[in-house]
Amino acid sequence: MAKRIYFDHSATTPLDPRVALAMQPANEELFGNPSSLHSEGRQAKEFLQQARARVAALLNADANEIIFTASGTEADNLALLGVFHAGHQPGHMITSSIEHPAITAACGFLEKCGVSVTYLPVDEQGLIAPADLQQAFRADTRLVSIMSANNVVGTIQPIAELARITHERGVLFHTDAVQSTGKVPLDVRRVAVDMVSMSAHKLHGPKGVGALWVRKGVQLRPVIFGGGQERGLRSATENVAGIVGFGKAAQLAFEQMPEEAARLVHLRERILSGLQESLPQTYLIGHPYKRLPGHLCLAFAGQEGEAIKLLLALDEAGVAVSSGSACSAHRASEPSPVLLAMGFDPIRARGTLRVTLGRFNTAHEVDRFLQILPQAVNLLRPVASYAGLARV
Amino acid sequence: MAENTDVVMNHVELPGLDCGLCGFKHCEELEQQLVLRPELIKRCIHLAEERIDAAAGPRTPTMAAAPAPVSAPAPARPRPMRLAPFVDTLGRDFDFYLEHFPEDPGPREIILPHNPMITRELPVRKGDVLIGRPLGMSCGCPITHCGIAMEVDERTGVIVWCVTGPLAPRAQGFKDLGYYIAEGYEGLITETKSEIKIGCRYYFQPRMCMLQWRHSGLVNFMNHTSAGIQVRLEGLWIG
Repeated sequence: MAKRIYFDHSATTPLDPRVALAMQPANEELFGNPSSLHSEGRQAKEFLQQARARVAALLNADANEIIFTASGTEADNLALLGVFHAGHQPGHMITSSIEHPAITAACGFLEKCGVSVTYLPVDEQGLIAPADLQQAFRADTRLVSIMSANNVVGTIQPIAELARITHERGVLFHTDAVQSTGKVPLDVRRVAVDMVSMSAHKLHGPKGVGALWVRKGVQLRPVIFGGGQERGLRSATENVAGIVGFGKAAQLAFEQMPEEAARLVHLRERILSGLQESLPQTYLIGHPYKRLPGHLCLAFAGQEGEAIKLLLALDEAGVAVSSGSACSAHRASEPSPVLLAMGFDPIRARGTLRVTLGRFNTAHEVDRFLQILPQAVNLLRPVASYAGLARV
Repeated sequence: MAENTDVVMNHVELPGLDCGLCGFKHCEELEQQLVLRPELIKRCIHLAEERIDAAAGPRTPTMAAAPAPVSAPAPARPRPMRLAPFVDTLGRDFDFYLEHFPEDPGPREIILPHNPMITRELPVRKGDVLIGRPLGMSCGCPITHCGIAMEVDERTGVIVWCVTGPLAPRAQGFKDLGYYIAEGYEGLITETKSEIKIGCRYYFQPRMCMLQWRHSGLVNFMNHTSAGIQVRLEGLWIG
């Protein structure tokens, strides 16, 4: 039986064996509480600090500015709720209409608390226009939160430009970089961001660990209260093993970034060109090259309504892909809000295939996929039976 | 070609980030490629497009090196994400939302496969995970649906199922009905702007409709409950 092909790395990534190895002592021997003063505690703290430095290196940041959390979602929540004091401080914030639910749901909560939120539109490729941001500021704007790269379509936002505009207005800028961390360089000494959310399991690290980088001087209130760990911003005994794994995953991603990105871009384009040859109805959603290196969001003209069937057929054939973000699979009866915001009608907004490649994918797997996918697509029932007219 | 290259290289400096996103491991490699293929400059996502265009002058980069993607069907301008109550995604009014019963895994539908014999041939049993598309009159939806069989009438081929997302078929496997007709819906009305009367036809929005399009149907059963008005609707159409 052929090995299964995993092409859903935007949902989560398999743990790198080197990360698992690094976590082993933390799981087995480093049981001490990093806040304890004895040797076991101090040893755990040393590992924690090493991991902090490795995660900070991804952003060219100071290690003391990293706040470990339990997830990227928690990091996003801490950034937004922390600025608005869990909704007790009124004001205005700006975000985009294609953010992850970790941002949109937090915005929904803040709106109920009286915070006013502006949702910037995006174009048909999922890009935010800097001019739209310029016009959205108000006298009471306190925060702008824009994702670095979109989880559904893979489009990379012009974060440096958006952050520059935001800083010119004296407003804080947060970016949800969960999808882009370790894939797209972000140097916080060059880019005017104030907070960056990250997640370990998107870069071949363990689940249950995230981080928020907070620039020194940014005033943030905690949303979890207790023993005052993580500079008082995230109380709770640290998940030492998970954090050690995050540190190792960050180190590997940092070391391999350019080679890995170039390799994934080539695999990505091999898939796209291969499909466009065998299935001319294939079209790409999102920007053709301002996109995450291993990320393809595809649809098949006239067969968008069959996305679920295609997904199941591919799963049966041994290929794991996604029809959107995994975070919304349990609400799979709704069209993607991201694609609706990009101007797609509800049918097309449901009919996408997300193919996301990762570190362990090979050219051989891509070639197998290029054989399997056309067979699966050709079994679908098109809405229109007549295919004699070319698309214009 | 050489002239274009000179223009690009004279006016646009690569950022030196060595990010690999252009498909080359280092900026230096991209720089070498630009001698032969100046249009590759567009692949540097860190350079603002206006700077590239200004440097390239009137030249229109063709991105010949990249596989030309088939453009998506021209999308309209972004629409507001949050819809007004009782208005569907096409901007049409409707009378009420149809919710599914709290104990059901999804909206309850009464369906008839286009080949009713398939119910016996597969065979379909209570609890089976099914997929199929509602072809034709009632109700013309272009989306393949997934669901769990709740009741099966082998004599007529009629199936009562609860529509779910794709997670169940993924996890448990499925039986494919091909095409079917949606004959009726059953559910609860908890939000309505109209008085509901048995025998009347209404526009309604199934809460979990994949397209968030309004439907219409005739109410032929009503039961006032503490959870809302239980109804059965038949004679279904989209729109």
